[in-house]
Amino acid sequence: MDVDSDSDISVFGDEDPRVKGKGKGKASEKPKKGKVKRKAKEQAYTWEASYTRSWDTVQEDETGSLQGAVEDLMARDRRRRLLAPAAAIRRTIIRHLVLILDLSNSMMDRDFRPTRFDLTLRYAREFVTEWFDQNPLGQIGVVGMRSGLGERIGEMSGNPQDVLRSLSDRAKLEPTGEPSLKNAIEMARGSMSHLPTQSSREILIVFGSLTTCDPGNIHETLEVCTKSRIRISVVALAAEMKICRELSDKTGGKFGVAMNEGHFKDLLFELVPPPAQHATIRNAGSGSGLPPADLMMMGFPTRLPDTSPPSLCACHSDLKSEGFLCPRCMAKVCDVPTDCDICGLMIVSSPHLARSYHHLFPVKPYEAVASLDYTSQSTSACHACARPFPAAHLSGVVTEGLSPLGRYRCPDCHHDFCTECDVFVHDVVHCCPGCGK
Amino acid sequence: MDSEVDKPSHLSVILDLSPTQWYLSARATNPYPLTIGSFLSQLLAFLNAHIGTKNENTLAVFGAFPGKSVMLYTSTEALVDEPPPLDANSYPPFRMVDTTVTRQILRELDAIEPGDEPPCALVGALTKALCYINRITLPSTSSTNVAEGSTHLPDPRILILSVSPDLSSSYIPIMNAIFSAQKLKVTIDVCKIYGADTVFLQQAAHLTNGSYIYLERRDALLQYLIMSFLPPPLVRKVLTVPRQDKIDFRAACFCHKNIVDVGFVCSVCLSIFCQPVPVCSTCRTKFPIKALQRLKSACPSPAPAPPRPLANLNNAVPRTTEATNHSTPGLR
Repeated sequence: MDVDSDSDISVFGDEDPRVKGKGKGKASEKPKKGKVKRKAKEQAYTWEASYTRSWDTVQEDETGSLQGAVEDLMARDRRRRLLAPAAAIRRTIIRHLVLILDLSNSMMDRDFRPTRFDLTLRYAREFVTEWFDQNPLGQIGVVGMRSGLGERIGEMSGNPQDVLRSLSDRAKLEPTGEPSLKNAIEMARGSMSHLPTQSSREILIVFGSLTTCDPGNIHETLEVCTKSRIRISVVALAAEMKICRELSDKTGGKFGVAMNEGHFKDLLFELVPPPAQHATIRNAGSGSGLPPADLMMMGFPTRLPDTSPPSLCACHSDLKSEGFLCPRCMAKVCDVPTDCDICGLMIVSSPHLARSYHHLFPVKPYEAVASLDYTSQSTSACHACARPFPAAHLSGVVTEGLSPLGRYRCPDCHHDFCTECDVFVHDVVHCCPGCGK
Repeated sequence: MDSEVDKPSHLSVILDLSPTQWYLSARATNPYPLTIGSFLSQLLAFLNAHIGTKNENTLAVFGAFPGKSVMLYTSTEALVDEPPPLDANSYPPFRMVDTTVTRQILRELDAIEPGDEPPCALVGALTKALCYINRITLPSTSSTNVAEGSTHLPDPRILILSVSPDLSSSYIPIMNAIFSAQKLKVTIDVCKIYGADTVFLQQAAHLTNGSYIYLERRDALLQYLIMSFLPPPLVRKVLTVPRQDKIDFRAACFCHKNIVDVGFVCSVCLSIFCQPVPVCSTCRTKFPIKALQRLKSACPSPAPAPPRPLANLNNAVPRTTEATNHSTPGLR
């Protein structure tokens, strides 16, 4: 994170958001601005840049069109994301996360549009959807900080709909009062204390305030969290606070201060892929000494067809014909994956397990093709989507992993792919169309 | 409702063109033999019907050949160099589809060398179809957000005409393709023309809200195609298209290939075992002895289930796993 270098400024400038809110708002109306700004070398907070002349960074090409410049920016952005994770690492597949939302008065600030609170809610919903998509066996609980209390908003649940429902009612979550980090973390810790050792315990705090009012010493809380191997990540909306930084540093989490709307989203979504398990951190932080690997007992349910006679389900007591039968106690549940309400067995279906496999067997990153000279048989169109490649201009070097020809080659099957397919294959499909694996 | 139904739709057809399977399908000993020739003529009629239903409808055809997947036709750009000569008696788009598809198939089939036939590259064709749909649903300047782009083109769908049996090594890629289809809101329809039911494609159709149809009367192929697969998914809600009801979602254990109801899963690599084991055979993770004892006491005495007809997960996870790189230190 190159946030660090900037963050100390904001400690002194924390009054600025309210003062300069207006000017910044105007500047951020350009939709492309977030992206363009991130390109700029010296990154500034939204409120510091009263008017960023985002149009200065975009250069017209010979014909006066902006198309090329915009595409170039976006392509580079995408490539950068792909270049990062290449090595094989062991990841936590079964995750438990408590999302702590700041619901204090400071969330009503307007330095993020429309307000910090509204933006946080919106991103939180997107985050939950994406998180469950990538971590089908995970569970999320939601805790709010307001009026100096920790408030349970959503119970720990493996069903995205439940979590989204708890985040959907804006009126119920109306910010008020002061936040209390200690109370909220204690509450989150309590709801994760019973979890088995092989699952991860994570806390994600979205913190908009610059103060916390705690009933005791928060460093004690931090110590307990370190002992029980809870990983705390903080996304701050205002400025860096010493305690937030310490929370995430000591527990192996991530810390970031959001500079603008786009950066806020980036910080959140960085936490979506399953975290790598580092041996060092685990040894340092393992108070109990228990290894995190374990065998888990799981049940594979029988799916009842839509035409079966209706019966009551164990989870909601609704009369339904479709459902899944727990293989151990034969109770009927509505949806999987879940823990059986009667016997507590973890119920999953094989597609849920398969959904996690792509984290374990990723696609090799494609190489950017610099020139066409050594490829006699190279094709004129993308191997996957048959889009013709742009006419070759042979004056290119690979910059930031970006091919001047817009071609990316699989190291295994030596087929060429276009930029869009490159991103699509690595982000979504996780399977190379050329090699078929 | 009308406005939704009236929207143009996109269809990607994946043809499974394994010479061996088509030879088997054409044998006269079958109850309803179907040769590849008659299959193609019925297929082309179906494709023409799709193009003819609506002027804006788009079509792409992919072929899965042994060890190779090829795009045979798209309506967005010409794949063959010389367009077919105009014929006063045929509608040009129909003629374009017919000649392009047959010419491309002939070219690919001629290129197949005699000898051992590698399995059909169904996965390649499927991922290509997804990439193609991704490309046409996203305008070239749009963001990376897939969900936003899918509103531009309603109802993209993929129809797989399958004759080959399941390939156990393609389990993970096919599941990955299914999940990306879900993300792109693509419906996958499957028509099994010859051979036994494929579990993977059943799951594909089920998970993407498509329909899986096993062809009982192969001579009535065109009728099946037109009745079940021609209407876009929005219209199908009204039509009650036949759907698969029983899908096997149980898993097979990696150790004995038994189907298990209650299994034991390695927390590192998600391998499934039918009994508690001390060491994971896939990623070599050692499990704590305490947990083993606890699980053994909880374990119901496992009655050996009959082996699964189509080994589902058996070889799905490659043995050369990268998950081993960081085996657990501090574990004896």
